[in-house]
Amino acid sequence: MDLNKLKKRSSYPFETIAVAVSFSPRCQPVLAEAKRLSDILGASLLLLHIGEKTSKKEQELDEMMAEIGVNPNHSRVIWMEGDPVDTILKLCKLNIVDLLVLGALEKENILKFYLGSIARNISRKAKCSVLLLTNPTGEPMKYKKIVVNGVENPKTIHTINTSIYLAKNFKVKDITIVNEMDVSGLAMAIADNSTAPQAKEIKKHIADESDETLQMIIEKCDVGDIKVTDKSIKGKPGYAISKFAKDKKADLLVINSPDTHLNVFDRIFTHDIEYILADLPCNLLIVHSRI
Amino acid sequence: MIKLAHNELIVLLLSISTMLIISRIFAELGKRLKLPIVMGELIVGIVLGPTILGMLYPDLFNYLFPKTGNIPIALDGIFSLSVIMLLFVAGMEVQLSLLLKQGKVAVYTSVFSMIIPFFTGFAVAWFFPEIFSIPNEQGPKLLFALFFGTALSISALPVIARILMDMNLFKTNIGMVIIASAMFNDLLGWLIFSFVLSLTSTNANEHLSIWYTVAYIIGFGLFMLTIGKKIIDKSLPWMQTKLSWPGGVLSISLGICLLSAAFTEAINIHAILGAFIAGIAFGDSVHLREQAREIIHQFVTNFFAPLFFVSIGLKVNFSENFDLPIVLIVLVLAFLGKVIGATLGARLGGMSKNHSLAVGFGMNARGAMEIILGTLALNAGLISKPIFVALVIMALVTSLTSGPLMKRFID
Repeated sequence: MDLNKLKKRSSYPFETIAVAVSFSPRCQPVLAEAKRLSDILGASLLLLHIGEKTSKKEQELDEMMAEIGVNPNHSRVIWMEGDPVDTILKLCKLNIVDLLVLGALEKENILKFYLGSIARNISRKAKCSVLLLTNPTGEPMKYKKIVVNGVENPKTIHTINTSIYLAKNFKVKDITIVNEMDVSGLAMAIADNSTAPQAKEIKKHIADESDETLQMIIEKCDVGDIKVTDKSIKGKPGYAISKFAKDKKADLLVINSPDTHLNVFDRIFTHDIEYILADLPCNLLIVHSRI
Repeated sequence: MIKLAHNELIVLLLSISTMLIISRIFAELGKRLKLPIVMGELIVGIVLGPTILGMLYPDLFNYLFPKTGNIPIALDGIFSLSVIMLLFVAGMEVQLSLLLKQGKVAVYTSVFSMIIPFFTGFAVAWFFPEIFSIPNEQGPKLLFALFFGTALSISALPVIARILMDMNLFKTNIGMVIIASAMFNDLLGWLIFSFVLSLTSTNANEHLSIWYTVAYIIGFGLFMLTIGKKIIDKSLPWMQTKLSWPGGVLSISLGICLLSAAFTEAINIHAILGAFIAGIAFGDSVHLREQAREIIHQFVTNFFAPLFFVSIGLKVNFSENFDLPIVLIVLVLAFLGKVIGATLGARLGGMSKNHSLAVGFGMNARGAMEIILGTLALNAGLISKPIFVALVIMALVTSLTSGPLMKRFID
């Protein structure tokens, strides 16, 4: 495989979709959803199993694929032993995977969260986009309400464009793009030296600035005929959009991939994506824009 | 229980109302001249204290602020409560996650802007203690050197936040790097200072070994910032929905602050550390409503802060204790250590030369935090009045010059 192809590769279209096969009870619905995505998006499907290849497992997988209707001509199965996180990441890189589909619990128990579960650790480190499915049932998932982050970041434009690409393919009419206004420090800055109108003015200025930034980002995106609703919300980045998606009963939350390498300290002193991973509000798509 | 006499209560109420009303007038006047509010409050202290009122109208000064009887005890209690509250709100704005989020540049900036001023101050105090009239004996010299290093390395988050807000830099990359680094400086600075204060304890029975003190400080900090923070985070939604709003969250947050302060005081680490760490645990919660945060800030900044800063001028005669050489030495060391440290850190973190210098001058503002630190050190007998006066002047000069100097390096 030519790894140079990975560099600056666009975050969409999804040409290769990989799915992690774990033989857990949620495995079949996750695989079914990945198959549906690959069909709709015209992508090839890659099934990854990290563990020993046994005839029993092979048979089980064949039956599962047949039941779901996975076409062996448009899919490949890779069996490999090793550390699940590292091996999946390596395989995704080698096979130029654009989207990795994983099943994930909405909330991990506290110990598992701090130690890091497989799905969440992959989400933190992946060099491709990752879709975490929280409640796969085997029925086709609906992506009617899509909430996308609109933070001021070079990655955001790619994330929004990827969301629009998905929205077009899934015939979604409108998406909501949310910019989070982090007002931490504001109370401290206006506490002693501002009159009521001044404090109001400062808050309005911050809100206007946030709206303007969001508008500028949206203007650069290839929106097409999708109706885009923009919204600025106050709160800590990550937590605010997660709560917004939950309150709005969103089907899919789309965010940028993390900017820095995340470790256990980022979970203890939670910020940004870690708030979302701590309690998934809905299905989560982390767009890796490879810029 | 000892009670204030009828007349004593009247005088106490008169002195508090005088401090509050006059400091508000000065603060509003200062605001028009773009001066930090703390400057107005300090000036009121100087005007009402021995420096001016005590000299011109000694009878009135002694009537309002008597040195004997129950009133000074009552005022001392209020001032102690004020400093605890001030540290609580200072802690509320510290978000350690911001340092992680800002990454390499913030880590480098915070580390260098701490280490270089700390060692500059420590080295000068250690090798030239005579400049500060400190006896050349290992014990007092070490304590003073540790304090002086800490005093030069601390930053004033509220002043910095205000400067950045005024310059419209609050949410920019430079602004966030400065805020994140100043938060980390404050946390480390108060931890070190609490350690230094605990070593000055005069009560031999309560005096802990250095290692016990360090273990207590680290243990308490780790507990509050992990388990304590989680407990507060989980209980805040309940507090804010099931209890009276905003009364419930206010009384519980301030109650936890005082409980935490009492605990650290009881284990012979100063009460301020408990309040500061409780502030971090509270303020970092995503569930703390912005309105509750603002109310706590307003209450503390506009009631306790003026009382505390005015009280400084009441305790110290600024003209008698003004020592120009010490003031200049403190000023030069403060500027050099902080500006070089923060600039170097930002530069190593990958910022451009001009932006690094802007970060350096931005981090240089010491403001109210330095004055609180100096007051506590003065009360603990760690420093003399001339050094205290020099620290107050340094805090004011660095706060006043920070914004204009930053501006020179911003595109």
